[in-house]
Amino acid sequence: MFKTLIPKATSRSLLRPVGQASSTFRPSTFYLVDRARRGYATEAEEKDLVIIGGGVAGYVAAIKAGQAGLKVACIEKRGALGGTCLNVGCIPSKSLLNNSHLYHTILHDTKNRGIEVGDVKLNLEQMMKAKETSVSGLTKGIEFLFKKNNVEYIRGTGAFADEHTVAVNLIDGGETSVRGKNIIIATGSEATPFPGLSIDEKRVVTSTGAIALKEVPKKMVVIGGGIIGLEMGSVWSRLGAEVTVVEFLGQIGGPGMDAEISKMTQKILQKQGMKFKLNTKVTKGDDSGDTIKISVEAAKGGKEETLDADVVLVAIGRRPYTAGLGVENIGIETDERGRLVIDQEYRTKLPHIRVIGDCTFGPMLAHKAEEEAVAAVEFITKNYGHVNYNAIPSVMYTHPEVAWVGQTEAEVKNSGVKYNVGSFPFSANSRAKTNLDTDGIVKFIADAETDRILGIHIVGPNAGEMIAEGTLALEYGASSEDVARTSHAHPTLA
Amino acid sequence: MNATRVLLQQHRQPMIRFLGKRTVPQKVDHTPHAHPASPTHSLPESFANYRQKAQQHGPLNPQQRTQYSTGRGAVGSHSGKSLGPVEPAKGEFFDRSELPERFRRLKWTMAEIEAVESGGASLYV
Repeated sequence: MFKTLIPKATSRSLLRPVGQASSTFRPSTFYLVDRARRGYATEAEEKDLVIIGGGVAGYVAAIKAGQAGLKVACIEKRGALGGTCLNVGCIPSKSLLNNSHLYHTILHDTKNRGIEVGDVKLNLEQMMKAKETSVSGLTKGIEFLFKKNNVEYIRGTGAFADEHTVAVNLIDGGETSVRGKNIIIATGSEATPFPGLSIDEKRVVTSTGAIALKEVPKKMVVIGGGIIGLEMGSVWSRLGAEVTVVEFLGQIGGPGMDAEISKMTQKILQKQGMKFKLNTKVTKGDDSGDTIKISVEAAKGGKEETLDADVVLVAIGRRPYTAGLGVENIGIETDERGRLVIDQEYRTKLPHIRVIGDCTFGPMLAHKAEEEAVAAVEFITKNYGHVNYNAIPSVMYTHPEVAWVGQTEAEVKNSGVKYNVGSFPFSANSRAKTNLDTDGIVKFIADAETDRILGIHIVGPNAGEMIAEGTLALEYGASSEDVARTSHAHPTLA
Repeated sequence: MNATRVLLQQHRQPMIRFLGKRTVPQKVDHTPHAHPASPTHSLPESFANYRQKAQQHGPLNPQQRTQYSTGRGAVGSHSGKSLGPVEPAKGEFFDRSELPERFRRLKWTMAEIEAVESGGASLYV
């Protein structure tokens, strides 16, 4: 009754006490509760889609939705778009991997190529600047794409106020809130801390600190022989550090890497100077002295040993980052590993709230997050989207690179399918020969009856580029003969 | 003839084939299922419970069949026209109490009545 008597646009001002400036207006609890009860319009702006997180998942979803004509807002707390991948992950580490490889090649591998080089010196500060230039160029590129596609970029920390409203604590001070018909959570992940070691990102570092060290450590211990540990271990090993990798499992590269490929990679990295302690667990760490002392023993129990290090890299994995998001305010569930639970269309139990990227199921890979971003926006705009989780490639950017897609030989064996394995060494490849870069193999696993490709594993130069062909073959359901009969240019590594 | 058959059998059929122009499947099941990368391959009960609760007044709930509901959890599967008129039949009236709670009239509280009568002054007493 009351609502019909007062025009909608003026109702709020009419209800305010007369004679008080709005800036000094302090509403009583009753006033606020009652306003909410009567469902007056809030000050929050309504968007078609609100995205929390401006990382790879978030910014791709925002741009895609903007292109589809939706009114979009993207909330990011870092102050720069691109998330972990662009700011402190994939991109800066690739800059360091590339430049440290060049440095290592010039230092150790020029004479037999007929190049005489004078004094070779490392300018770490400049190497870091080159990395930062690449990063800032890319993050600004995304800001430009936001403007071009009419995406509102809100710099701040978002938390759910209710099922449709996200309250944002702005970086520049102040607060705002934004309402969304649809909301996508893309808050990513963070490095899992190691119990007993406090991360200061200077001496005890995660990948974030490992890409920003001020000097090359004499000794470095890497806890965790997965992809991040091996990539960053490679960088500092090439720049002169004595790197020891401690891995709890019996193989490097994580459980996703094929055992044969893992063994071969380990041998190659050992030849480059890295040391490995597999089946070994870290029992404690002490960073009180000049050097950090890491106590290790065999995973199944055994004699304790102490490793000395100037820098310890904790790379035991990553965990979903949802702290402060307020999902508990709206009853969205996480599983035992902190991943937000979703259905096949990325919906939480509240169908208008979707989750993509590292903070939900699936491998924590930037390209997987991108695919999910596109699919989630297509579900909103076209009611249909698709990601093939069986054809997502993995790449480790050491030298040589390691890349794979599909199943490992152990997985195929466990599934009970009869299979054939075919492999070819780069030492017999003409381009690899001319490049004097012949470490590695290509391994195909195919169904014995149909010849359909089940998995492709490559360790070798440019493996990360070449796996794209394998991924396409797997996506199309190709047989290994299909790939063999496809003409490949000569001489190439492909 | 046997030789031809042998030759035909030898003719290689690649597994890679052009599948035609990509189109959205005509029938897409939108009911919640486990995510393909979910390690448990199951959804918590809360998904179904929430859906049930959120739709308790709507036509999607099979327990709440009305002349407008399909009763099969697919409100979008029939055109609005085929569901019949929205207007009540002659001599029939909708009661506000039949609507979901959020659409019903809110009762005045004493504090609210006092606030109106005192021109808002009671909010600050």
